[in-house]
Amino acid sequence: MKRRDFIKSGGAIAAAAPFMNFGAGKPLGKKLLVVGCDGMDPGIVNRLMAAGELPNLKRLGDRGIFTMMRSSIPPQSPVAWGSFISGADPGKFGIFDFLHRDPETYIPMFSQSDTLPSRWLVKLGDYRIPLKPGKVVLKREGPAFWDFLEERGIPATIFKVPTNYPPSPSTQRTLAGMGTPDIQGTYGIYTLFTSDEHESQRDLAAANVYYAYIDENQVMEGQLEGPKNDLLRESEPIVVPFKAYVDNRHKTVRIDIQGREILLAEKEYSDWVELTFPLISGLASISGMVRFYLLEMGERFRLYISPIHISPRHPAVPISTPPGYSAELADRVGLFHTIGLPADTKALSNGTFSMENFITQSLSVFGESCRLFAYELERFDRQPEGLLFFYFSSLDQGQHMFWALNDKEHPYYHPEEGRRFGYITDELYRKFDRVLGRALKSIDPAIPVLVMSDHGFAPFRREVNINNWLLREGYLKLSTRDISEETSILDTADWPASRAYALGLNGFYLNQKGREKEGVVTTGERRRLLEEIKAKLEALVDPANGQKVVSCAYISEDNFSKDFIERAPDIILGFHRGYRISDNSALGTLDRDIIIDNLGWWSGDHCVDPKRVPASFVSSFKINARVPDMRDVAPTILKYFGVPAGAGMTGKALI
Amino acid sequence: MSSKVKLSKEADQKATAIIAFHGYSSLEELVEDLIGKEYEKIKSGDDKEELANKLSGLGYIS
Repeated sequence: MKRRDFIKSGGAIAAAAPFMNFGAGKPLGKKLLVVGCDGMDPGIVNRLMAAGELPNLKRLGDRGIFTMMRSSIPPQSPVAWGSFISGADPGKFGIFDFLHRDPETYIPMFSQSDTLPSRWLVKLGDYRIPLKPGKVVLKREGPAFWDFLEERGIPATIFKVPTNYPPSPSTQRTLAGMGTPDIQGTYGIYTLFTSDEHESQRDLAAANVYYAYIDENQVMEGQLEGPKNDLLRESEPIVVPFKAYVDNRHKTVRIDIQGREILLAEKEYSDWVELTFPLISGLASISGMVRFYLLEMGERFRLYISPIHISPRHPAVPISTPPGYSAELADRVGLFHTIGLPADTKALSNGTFSMENFITQSLSVFGESCRLFAYELERFDRQPEGLLFFYFSSLDQGQHMFWALNDKEHPYYHPEEGRRFGYITDELYRKFDRVLGRALKSIDPAIPVLVMSDHGFAPFRREVNINNWLLREGYLKLSTRDISEETSILDTADWPASRAYALGLNGFYLNQKGREKEGVVTTGERRRLLEEIKAKLEALVDPANGQKVVSCAYISEDNFSKDFIERAPDIILGFHRGYRISDNSALGTLDRDIIIDNLGWWSGDHCVDPKRVPASFVSSFKINARVPDMRDVAPTILKYFGVPAGAGMTGKALI
Repeated sequence: MSSKVKLSKEADQKATAIIAFHGYSSLEELVEDLIGKEYEKIKSGDDKEELANKLSGLGYIS
């Protein structure tokens, strides 16, 4: 039965919700487009729609619905998109935060993937050659919704959905997104060569900074540090040397690297430059790629080099299924960012980028996404059936960095920067709307379209150190009296005397007997203690302004399925808007006070109470729920294609 | 400097398994390798610092 026939036959209920009468197993149509726009805030969408600035989203919503959608607990992207992928709460797929912790050691670890070392090493001169290579393992548990489509032979393209690195085994076309590292295994370490001596001596996070010595012939010699060569018995980084010929008169530079010449003018970005990092000369190597950005010439010479991305043509680790999909994209559209979060927010936070530099980069990333989207849309248009999911990262990364430009209450508000660049957030929304408009024109208008985000956005004005609070309240004890803002609880906690600790961006743990290595809280005490701490957290007030800090402390066992709950924090901290965990607290380090001002460009955030940052849901079709939930999207997609929801799905189909 | 270390039966069994698994030629080589790796960790800070650096790339931690 076609959708039009169904609407005709469905009567009054169908008029309200055109897809509702279809039973499981009967497809509603053959094609569906889902666009994921990370961080798209329904409040901002609503304001811009009302002002007539998002005509395409407005038209889409007028056909179906524009509403808020419940995000996950906590509303962090790996968790929320994990809920989207699994159609379930995080208890079913086992990811509760960017960071989990090992109860054996209390040390935080990444939640999304793990790297297993290579095995069966053979010694050969200075090398140790693995006979079984190491591998990266996805820690998201359970099936993805596209697995169910695959079983029925329904093709799907899943473009850069977060929480899918390395991509789970599939014959569908999937490209890994957030969680994908650079070739050094980090989430993006950039390089800066600067002739500013003071700047070259700064110890910056996630950056390699070098002094740029330019000789009398106006030549600078540099090298790019690649991954460590673990094949060597004495592991050391692989370096690629280069020379930069500086022409101050014309404000240009020529970079010679691995036989290529790149000519750059001041403030210009290079195209992608593919590089080879040799492991064993002539026998084994790793491919990577970078972009050069000539930030300044003249009084100061400043050359930025992007993190070394995994090459989509020759990925050193799996980033797509089938493995050739990433190379197909590179061949058809050109090389593209493969790091999960492509805009270099750290370069702005560190002061390496000006706001103007960061906006230039953000728009470049957005433009690249648009080209890839256009390619996939064209392909989607040609195929007779299937799902296209396409993900945009730019609104999320932009809002993290742009929030303070328009927030006069933010401690990092700079009036001058606000005046110059305050337009940019709204402009990104408008740009996205225009891209959507082109997409809608390019596909059959009968194809249903859903545009969704994973969470909204909130100001991040004040940082909260929960470990400082636990110390004050007596739940956490240290074995030292020498406490400073650099003290790590991981080094100094008196665990046998401590009942709780905090790690991760929303995580709060009891020091539980039989679970933590030196746990003390018994099963009998557990519930009472959780409720006591929940009440105290929800009563916590910011002395600077009298505002409540924690909107809701979610006790995990009351909110999650039990399948992988052993990985979960005992409480998920749901902060009020304006507050977030402090950088230090997330890694178990103390601050000078429980609550301090956030003095950085990372000024907007969403790691708060999910009720305070709902996601956006804009569809061309009507739905049967007033407020949908992130978990509902996967069963909805499956139902559209006539596929029953997976047994583990806790969400409900919306059609 | 040479040192003799007495291993418990359990540790000895584990060491034998690790030697076979990773292809070390002797217990001495295994111990030297493990000491080298641990020393490297001390020199380069610790796992936490590496983690902080990784998370910095995401942007969430400065």
